[in-house]
Amino acid sequence: MSDTAGNGAVLVVGGGISGLTAALEAAEVGSDVFLVEQNAYLGGRVAQLNQYFPKLCPPTCGLEINFKRIKDNRRIRTYTLTKVTSVSGGPGNYEVTLETAPRYINANCTACGDCAVVCTDEVDNPFNFGMSKIKAVNLPHEMAFPRRFILNKEACSSATLEAIKSACKYDAVELDMQPKSFTLQVSSIIWSTGWNPYDADKITQLNFNSSPAIITNMMMERLAAENGPTQGKILRPGDNKEPESFAFVQCAGSRDENHLEHCSYICCMATFKQISYIRAQYPEAKIYVFYIDLRTPGKYEHFRAKFMDDANTTFIKGKVADIVADRDGGVTVMAENALTANKVSQKVDLCILATGMQPALGEAGKTFGLTIDGNGFVVSEPEKGMIAAGCAKSAVDVYTSGQSSTAAALKAIQIGR
Amino acid sequence: MSMNVQPDREFIQAMKEAGGDTLKQCYQCATCSVACPLSTDGSPFPRREMIYAQWGLKEKLVNDPNVFLCHHCGDCTVMCPRGARPGDVLGAIRAHVYTSLGWPQSLARMCTSIKNLPTLVGIPALVVFFMWIISGGMRIPAGEHFAKVGYQQFFGHWDFHLLSKNVLFIDIIMLTAVGIAVYSLYKGVSVMWRGMSASLNQGEVGYRPGIVQFVKEFLWPSLVEIVQHKRFEECGENNSRVRGHKPLMLAFIALFFVTIYSMVKNDVFGIFFPSLHGPISLWNPVKWLANVAAVAMIFGIVVLWKNRKKMEAEGKAKNTFYDWFYIWIIAAVGVTGLAAELLRVVSLPSLGYIIYYLHLVSVVMLFLYLPYSKFAHIVYRTTAYAFERYRQSAYVKNPLND
Repeated sequence: MSDTAGNGAVLVVGGGISGLTAALEAAEVGSDVFLVEQNAYLGGRVAQLNQYFPKLCPPTCGLEINFKRIKDNRRIRTYTLTKVTSVSGGPGNYEVTLETAPRYINANCTACGDCAVVCTDEVDNPFNFGMSKIKAVNLPHEMAFPRRFILNKEACSSATLEAIKSACKYDAVELDMQPKSFTLQVSSIIWSTGWNPYDADKITQLNFNSSPAIITNMMMERLAAENGPTQGKILRPGDNKEPESFAFVQCAGSRDENHLEHCSYICCMATFKQISYIRAQYPEAKIYVFYIDLRTPGKYEHFRAKFMDDANTTFIKGKVADIVADRDGGVTVMAENALTANKVSQKVDLCILATGMQPALGEAGKTFGLTIDGNGFVVSEPEKGMIAAGCAKSAVDVYTSGQSSTAAALKAIQIGR
Repeated sequence: MSMNVQPDREFIQAMKEAGGDTLKQCYQCATCSVACPLSTDGSPFPRREMIYAQWGLKEKLVNDPNVFLCHHCGDCTVMCPRGARPGDVLGAIRAHVYTSLGWPQSLARMCTSIKNLPTLVGIPALVVFFMWIISGGMRIPAGEHFAKVGYQQFFGHWDFHLLSKNVLFIDIIMLTAVGIAVYSLYKGVSVMWRGMSASLNQGEVGYRPGIVQFVKEFLWPSLVEIVQHKRFEECGENNSRVRGHKPLMLAFIALFFVTIYSMVKNDVFGIFFPSLHGPISLWNPVKWLANVAAVAMIFGIVVLWKNRKKMEAEGKAKNTFYDWFYIWIIAAVGVTGLAAELLRVVSLPSLGYIIYYLHLVSVVMLFLYLPYSKFAHIVYRTTAYAFERYRQSAYVKNPLND
């Protein structure tokens, strides 16, 4: 593998399902690929899901095969905890500067876990959106790849750091590790920087922080996932009550010029999927879905029809514009039912905000010479060797991300040959 | 349920002209109905009014009390995810309803556009001037005389049968303007009430309230609520408007009584006791009330003026002729009235007469255009308040009526 200019090498920024797909497609036809990811692990948002469309597989299903392909492919070099800091040059001849944050654990790590046993300091687990605690030295999640621990040095006392270091049999703990800057020469760049759940705090009328009974759809995925904070049992955060009623608040922050102007595309389907999680655990629970339009394109129509028939699931055409925390730990959501022209105040045990996709790169992309559209998505410019893939390009599902990533790889490998 | 919609394109166009051009942005999410602090559970607004307006269903809107129960706080506009500005759209609908209920129609239509402003000012200006000429008054008194009689001899001073000539001319001008306004409002309120009643789909009603019951149960409680500004106070975004509206409303009520007092004094008792003619003494409590009210009126309109400017600057409201025409008239009435009085006190007859003339013109405008300008809300909104109470009362809800 060479790192000289004009060699047709491809840089893939972002190691979620889109970046993995694009990297593999490019490498498997013979291009050299650098895959960088800012998290400590690959797999991105898909890794956090309980199940994903189209077949409602657990994420292990799709990610493991991709990890295996990466391990087997000598043309892909991966960098975790790494961010792009600058891009110069032009198509066929880009010079990219990157920086890798210190993991404090080197490649000797076997993920044996001895260090975590002696570590007494804990932090909020970001993988579970803070719904659980995790040791300050940890494997981010069971399926994390590369399978190597990471140390949150700031969260540890010096005594804990010493204990961690001495507990390691393989001399893998490097407390003096420094951020590392390096450059790569590539011909084209695939931006698969993905998305973040829109910050529910910003939707002031939904009072997200007023009650633990208000969660986001991504938190719901973690609650339903077996490797989540409740081992897959859907319980209300805070008091672990088994909810008897649920409200889904669609378009929470999406299709709203005060927040995200675009439709996030996946939230309607995510809600139907999450209704299937609830039905599996609570066959009798009351479910209320507050929506503007239910957008279930193509073959997803059938999935929708199945749940529209559910006698205990009520669909109310009207966007929720107020949520009030109740004393018993539940919440009351308020909307106008546009079909009956009455206001609805529905009390529920658990309220799920179907928050949308905020493009993770956003305006920052402009400093790398990218064109960013009004909603923060990357505009694909293959002629410049700057190609967008997956949710960096537009709000899409996993299936469409796969297609757009394959397309991105095809564009990328044509540059600098 | 199927519905045959015949959109009224002219109506949609009128909406756009009156500041409701964001109307088509609405995608019926109903955020506004929850955002609105005044919207009720059983009959929420303005989501439904937005789609009626989009479809040009003018009949539905004219007969919809919710249109008038909206106080344009702008809470919905701020929360609207599409920038459809429901607050402005409902304001535009009200403007349109006032116009369509107005009589005579030609005058009502004239009040919708700033293009007609010269005519709207010109008509009363010419009428008052013409009256001044034919009255033979046509002369400006000397300082001492002016101090004694004030503007009471603006239209001359000899007696005309039982009335003083001045009173006669004032009555001819003002009572004509008030007469047109009252007739127009009477017609408008009748049409509105009938339409709103019909929209309840009650069919034949067995029992209706009598006039006394109507006043006692529906109208009076509504008036109390209005004076107390209860609904205004509930507004979130634009709550500061109350500070202007309250003094202004109280000023109008006070000045109404002062006018009645003055009319009785000059036009009724004045017939038998000519000495009663002349300005009210500065030591008369009624005059104190008048002066306090005049100051309150100017204070109120200044607050509303600034508030409106601020809202427009912040993009929370649109600059429309409908809103400003009304603000200008009130400001003109208040400023010219108080200035005329001050000029009398400091004895500047020439300037005083000019200002007094302008005062008469602006007062004619206030009365004459009342049914077609934003000022009409004092009657139509009050009617809607009363109708809302009626709608929720046993007369409508009582199953015996079915």
